[in-house]
Amino acid sequence: MALFRKRRKMDSICVKNVLPEVFVSRTDIESEVWRREVTFSRGNVYLVSADSGTGKSSLCSFIYGVRRDYSGDILFDGENIRNMSLSRWCDIRSRAISYLPQDLCLFPELTAAENIFMKLRLTRYKTEAEVKRYFEILGIADKYDSLVGRMSIGQQQRVAIIRTLCQPCDFFLMDEPVSHLDARNNDIAARLIADEVKRSGAGLIFTSVGNNLNIEQQEVLKL
Amino acid sequence: MKNLMWRLLRRNVSVGQMVGFAIANLVGLTIVVLAIQFYSDVRPIFDDRDSFIRKDYLVITRQVNGIGSLLGDVAQFEQEDIDDLAAQPWVNGVGVFTSSDYEVYAQVALAGSSSFGTELFFESVPDNYIDVEHSRWSFDPEKGEVPVIVSKDYLSLYNFGFAPSQGLPQISEAMVGMVPLQFTFSGEDCVEHMRGRIVGFSNRINSILVPQEFMEWSNARYCPDAEPRNPSRLIVEVNTPGDTRIEEYMSRNGYDVSGDKMNSSKATYFLTIIIGIVVFVGVIISALSFFVLTLSVYLLLQKNSRKMQTLMLLGYSPWRVSAPYIIMECAINAAVFVGAVVLMLVARNYYASMLESFGIADAGVALSVAIGATIIFVITVFNAASIYRKVRALWWQ
Repeated sequence: MALFRKRRKMDSICVKNVLPEVFVSRTDIESEVWRREVTFSRGNVYLVSADSGTGKSSLCSFIYGVRRDYSGDILFDGENIRNMSLSRWCDIRSRAISYLPQDLCLFPELTAAENIFMKLRLTRYKTEAEVKRYFEILGIADKYDSLVGRMSIGQQQRVAIIRTLCQPCDFFLMDEPVSHLDARNNDIAARLIADEVKRSGAGLIFTSVGNNLNIEQQEVLKL
Repeated sequence: MKNLMWRLLRRNVSVGQMVGFAIANLVGLTIVVLAIQFYSDVRPIFDDRDSFIRKDYLVITRQVNGIGSLLGDVAQFEQEDIDDLAAQPWVNGVGVFTSSDYEVYAQVALAGSSSFGTELFFESVPDNYIDVEHSRWSFDPEKGEVPVIVSKDYLSLYNFGFAPSQGLPQISEAMVGMVPLQFTFSGEDCVEHMRGRIVGFSNRINSILVPQEFMEWSNARYCPDAEPRNPSRLIVEVNTPGDTRIEEYMSRNGYDVSGDKMNSSKATYFLTIIIGIVVFVGVIISALSFFVLTLSVYLLLQKNSRKMQTLMLLGYSPWRVSAPYIIMECAINAAVFVGAVVLMLVARNYYASMLESFGIADAGVALSVAIGATIIFVITVFNAASIYRKVRALWWQ
């Protein structure tokens, strides 16, 4: 059963009547996601655009199973995620959904490479040569063995993007993936991500407050 | 790259706290293990169990009063004395000694030497007070053989007093069964011979015991007209041999408890209590050290909670995230256990020579080591469970 689950692809993420608990008392919410039914399908690219404070990081946390302080339902292929076991979540987090959190969640006391290998120890999805090639493409090859704590936020963001690409998945979930990158690096990152999305046939959900990932989108949702 | 997880999570591990826990637990566990070891080593010294009379039996007599006995007052127990004794809360049962009403003469004929003989008496107690299998402790008039249990003092008298002076061989307990014994019973109007067989020696009862059924049979055969006599000795089964009320009762009524068995029972009783207290203190120290470890691990988890949350965000299970701490804790506890056993063996060396002088067989260390292992295992399991629960609680932010 477990093996079957691992091999089965996740085709849709449905966000149904969801509202963060902190918004419950608010009546002025005009959103294409909150209190609506939205289905994200594998193979498509979705931009969730929002002003700050409208809950996009909350949305990512709900979908990724980090927080549960919402009303409504989130369904993976029709299965409500509230009832999922922790072992199921661990499986989803290393095989089905690859998440790039807004605060990056890197370990500052480890080097850039060690941060990537922390993920690869679980997934064994990329070789060291592939990882090095990503570092070169994103222009941080010289930071491969540098402590993350000593890197600029833009460099850290690129390390986090590489880590996100180092796992098999059906959906990429990226919370403001290029917020600290200039236009040129945005283009490079976007190309890398687009290639990976195309190659794996995954879906991509990314959020933005303005600096969008420069990638072709099937749907734009205003949060 | 291999120990990335440990490199991440070892931050904030307080060596001082871990050492503190290890020492506290080592002290506690050593106390427990050593106390139990000491108890099982020393216990046999106080154990005057003999193989025929179980240890919680006391043999009591009335004190012989010089003037009273001259005036014809025999030190015997009246029926009301027995009833009163049986009614005491510490008494489980009272048995009476029955004496032979006829004369007994015993002869030992050793090969190649002249036989020697002596006048004797027999006593018996109810068979349920005698711990000898029934086939060896029964009498059949057809077979004409009487099994007897003799006081160990008699054997010592023979071996160390009589035998050397007469040039006779000393005999061991094991050889006794082979000694040819001839009894001559002189009744009111008959004299009969019968073979005897010593089935063992008792250091609890200073008498010559025969089976109750033989006593009844022989009294009826040789002295059918004898008046029934009150018993001069009683055998009492008590439930707590060290009970102070026993001694009080005995001195109030002027009874003697044979030998100093009461004292050794009391010593055992106090030894048990003292060891119990020591073990309790050791367990308390171990329990406190367990709480020290738990608290210090909680502090550690608190400090490293963000890192552990991030690991779980990457897809690591709570088990894998808590594993480094659980392994650390198992290693510390294993070291504590080994240390406690080593300390116990070293300490045991110091009193080993004392044990040898008492001629006590080695009790082995299996019991104390097993109890120590159980305690450390329980502590380890509780530690591991509390670590896992704390880490798991970090999942939902």
